[in-house]
Amino acid sequence: MNNSLVVALIASGVAYGTPLLFGALGELLAERSGVLNLGVEGMMLVGAVMGFWTVQRVHGGSALALVLAIVVAAVAGTAMAAIHAFLVITLRASQIVSGLALTIFAGAAGLSSYLGNDLNLSGLPASHAFHPVFPNSMQSWPIVGPIVFGQNPLVYASWVCVIAVAFYLARTRPGLNLRAVGEAPGAADAMGIDVVKYRYAHTLAGGAFAGIAGATVTLAITPQWVSGITGGAGWIAIALVIFAFWRPELCLVGAYFFGAMQALAPELQARNISLGPTELWTNSLPYAATVIVLVVVSSRGARRRLGAPAALGVPYVREEA
Amino acid sequence: MTRRKLALVAAACVAAAAAAVLALGTSPGHAKSNGPFKVAWIYVGPHNDGGWSQAHDEGRQYVQKMLGSKVQTTYKENIAVGAQLQQTVASLVSQGYKMIFGTSYGFFDKALAAKYPNVLFEQATGTDVAKNLAEYFGRAEDTVFLSGMAAGAAAKCNTIGYVVAYPIPEVIRHANAFALGAQVMHPGVKVRLVWTNSWFDPAKEKKAAQSLVAAGACVLGQNVDSPATGQYAESQHIPWVGYDSDASKFAPKSWLTASVYNWGLYYLRRVKAAMNGTWKPGFYYGTINDGFTKLAPYGPGVSAKAKAAIAKKEKQLENGSWYEFQGPLYDQSGKLRVKKGVRMQVLKGGTNSLYGMNWLVKGVIGSPKG
Amino acid sequence: MRVTVERRLRQPRWLAVAVPAGSLVFAFGVAAIVLVATGHDPVSSYRQLFDAAFVSTGSLDQTLIAATPLAFTGLAAAAAFRMRIFNIGAEGQLYMGAITGAAAGLYLGGRGGPSAFVIAAMVVAGCAGGAAWASISGVFRAFFGTSEILTSLMLNYVAGYVLTYLIFQSESYWRQTKGFNATVFPTGKPLPSSAVWPGLTVHAQGGIVLPLGAGLAVLAAVVLWALYRRTRFGFEVQVLGDSAGAARYAGVRTRRKILAVMAISGAIAGLGGVSQDGDFRHALDGDPNGLQKQAYGYSGIVVAALGRYNPFAVVLIAFLIGGLDNAGNTLQGADFPSGLVGVIQGIILFSALGGELLVRHRVRVVRRASAVAAAPPAAAPEASP
Repeated sequence: MNNSLVVALIASGVAYGTPLLFGALGELLAERSGVLNLGVEGMMLVGAVMGFWTVQRVHGGSALALVLAIVVAAVAGTAMAAIHAFLVITLRASQIVSGLALTIFAGAAGLSSYLGNDLNLSGLPASHAFHPVFPNSMQSWPIVGPIVFGQNPLVYASWVCVIAVAFYLARTRPGLNLRAVGEAPGAADAMGIDVVKYRYAHTLAGGAFAGIAGATVTLAITPQWVSGITGGAGWIAIALVIFAFWRPELCLVGAYFFGAMQALAPELQARNISLGPTELWTNSLPYAATVIVLVVVSSRGARRRLGAPAALGVPYVREEA
Repeated sequence: MTRRKLALVAAACVAAAAAAVLALGTSPGHAKSNGPFKVAWIYVGPHNDGGWSQAHDEGRQYVQKMLGSKVQTTYKENIAVGAQLQQTVASLVSQGYKMIFGTSYGFFDKALAAKYPNVLFEQATGTDVAKNLAEYFGRAEDTVFLSGMAAGAAAKCNTIGYVVAYPIPEVIRHANAFALGAQVMHPGVKVRLVWTNSWFDPAKEKKAAQSLVAAGACVLGQNVDSPATGQYAESQHIPWVGYDSDASKFAPKSWLTASVYNWGLYYLRRVKAAMNGTWKPGFYYGTINDGFTKLAPYGPGVSAKAKAAIAKKEKQLENGSWYEFQGPLYDQSGKLRVKKGVRMQVLKGGTNSLYGMNWLVKGVIGSPKG
Repeated sequence: MRVTVERRLRQPRWLAVAVPAGSLVFAFGVAAIVLVATGHDPVSSYRQLFDAAFVSTGSLDQTLIAATPLAFTGLAAAAAFRMRIFNIGAEGQLYMGAITGAAAGLYLGGRGGPSAFVIAAMVVAGCAGGAAWASISGVFRAFFGTSEILTSLMLNYVAGYVLTYLIFQSESYWRQTKGFNATVFPTGKPLPSSAVWPGLTVHAQGGIVLPLGAGLAVLAAVVLWALYRRTRFGFEVQVLGDSAGAARYAGVRTRRKILAVMAISGAIAGLGGVSQDGDFRHALDGDPNGLQKQAYGYSGIVVAALGRYNPFAVVLIAFLIGGLDNAGNTLQGADFPSGLVGVIQGIILFSALGGELLVRHRVRVVRRASAVAAAPPAAAPEASP
């Protein structure tokens, strides 16, 4: 299997970028409604462990177990997001602290690790996992083979989600209302939009996506469970939303770009291509590149403040009539 | 001012609750002089990582099982070198633990041992020795060599991929042993390295495995702790050699074997010695003979011929008639590093010692600098 | 009957103390339920926590070790967040300060200078390193409007890789190359004795060492407080934080403030980094399983927010959170899964957050009949994420 470096990178970028993409889509929805949720890593891990638990315990066909696992993962992520939503929307607590507290609560030294321990999930591979669905012959086609046909179903699901979220934001009534909720909640409220309900709904949706992102890791990429297995993907997802200017299609580009950059170091090493302190700069490359790209793009005719929802991070308090 | 009164009442309740906790809660307090011998283990990763830390934990459980109520064991996991380690040791000592095993380099040094002279410290993979500080590790490279033989025998092409962690002597000598073993069964085979710069990172290891296969590897091996490489190998139907533990469950068809540690035997010996006062500091370097390391059970892909060859070499290693790190040994550039007949020592010999080896043998592709 | 939540017009002082205390009790209550549900004795667990954090021999020592870096990163976050500059990069700025500070210590200490001079130079170098790293994000934010959240977060990772590279992947100035140990495992060059920071030993509890860094953190808190509350600069910073529009209208130079505040924030974090070298590790710690696993920078943000960006409160809370972290290490073990520690810490934080509501708002039960305009119109939404 001698793929060119570029094809291998893009294929890896797609595969490893998928949890980042799911996480970013979810965070994008929450942030568009004005709620910053820094607890994505925690939500991902809880979704990862509960999705894994499901496939280990469910008896039945692969397809059933996997679908159920995704549902369970989404529910688990939503449950975590509910804590954050309640604290920041109803109790108007600091969104940053609440998100960080959620990461501590649910993350690698918290609930997800406890569940993994208590449910005896480590030490065995996933009983069912997502595998590529297209026949080997199609996977070997040049270029599109590995990049498109060599991916697992969750990757295809993520593409559908990107289209759905983009459509939702641009072409549906609730999606357009969402923009108002995030930019000027007072005006939205005056128009009769229930700001609180929108924020809750989208924060919880963010949790669901994060849970699915976690399940992507434990059911597709590395089908096993160990505490902290998402390895910081949640943080990258948060950064990607900013990188993508809060637009779903750019989330996809950013996620795959980041994933490809992360796969660059091993690919270069394996091909014995050495460029100086390889480790240092290939490790740093994804992060430095993200910064550079954002600076370059944002400096050229930056509109307002990058398109961030104006009311992001601000608790909404309705004035008493 | 009912609100103020309410606040006073609340404050009083808080104080009362706190007092109750302090009074009623059992203080961990000072250790009683009799009672079970308290011994603790400190892990750098999760106790159930399926790799390095888990192997140590199995050793701990072995000690607990063999000594029953005479010992009280515990472990601390995910402990970082530095402040967290200091806190952990301080709290263990104040809870009456008399012996602590540190399972990662850098946990214990002479200064720490001097700070707690009444506690016995044992450090894995390190070098400092003191009155109450001992070191322990062992010849995993010997069994890694044997596992390399299995890899070489199973290779239908000329490249084996080896996923490695940090470019430090411990990993370099394991990579070298693996390559030497592969070359015995498959002369001229090349071992290609990819460094992940982490002991345990499933996603990185899978990426490394993917890139190795893309670069032409038809067998995979590893000196890292998660079975991700194996899962990838299974999905590609290529053979796999693991490390640290029997992970055949993760890749039933691809599994060949692995070098595994059996820490329990050493731990039991040392705890017993500490309990009956015969403990002495030192530098223990375990071997196949004393059960420190062995090969995990074979998978379906190891041929009878390979098994016989490996068994023969294992016997030779056990009776000392043959050693993989005996000269002539050439480095990647072809230069002779160890003269014919000379055996590399564990600590003596600078860069020609096992603990100081920073060069890769001929046939390994990759940089020893990472 | 309706429950309304309305902003308070005044925030009585006793509330600021009673509510955190109350939330702590509430938190321990909820955590007790969790502990019982998972088969642990809450009372003995809490006793253990308290002992390990403050009471048993050596506990205050360890708590101070945990709290000192948190005080620095907390102050760093507070300095920036007060102006709504969300510097998430204290982690990386701490690493950079550790690098530059260690360089100063190794070089000047090696040339034989008086200890006070060497340490002062280390402090300056550490602050400079942190400030420089933070200024990358500052410049991008000031001149290009690039989100400092993203740039500072990404730079954290880069700083970590640089730190690891200096010790693990190169024969750099910071790396120990002499001696046998050095060949076995990469370590940092030990600081010369004149570069080791002194501690003040208090004879209690078996000897508590107050690290120099802890003193410097308190000093930094005083300086920061004075800067923000007693100078024109600080006044402008606060105005920019509270109402950017008003500030611009009043002619406050935003760009300069952004650069200055990021630099100050980075400098404090950098000071935390060099304190790690001088107070605790006595060498540069590039081990990925060492300093980089502690997440001081991110915890500092929590500390800062809980202290509502008041420098003195931040230091106090750093001490408490440091105790909690220290105690958490004690609690975990074979019979107490380490995951539960995070759950309890999370519950404490959530309760503290929830309690915040009661400080700033009043919960009233209003009867339907008199539901007309029960309170004066609320002020503008509180803007403090």
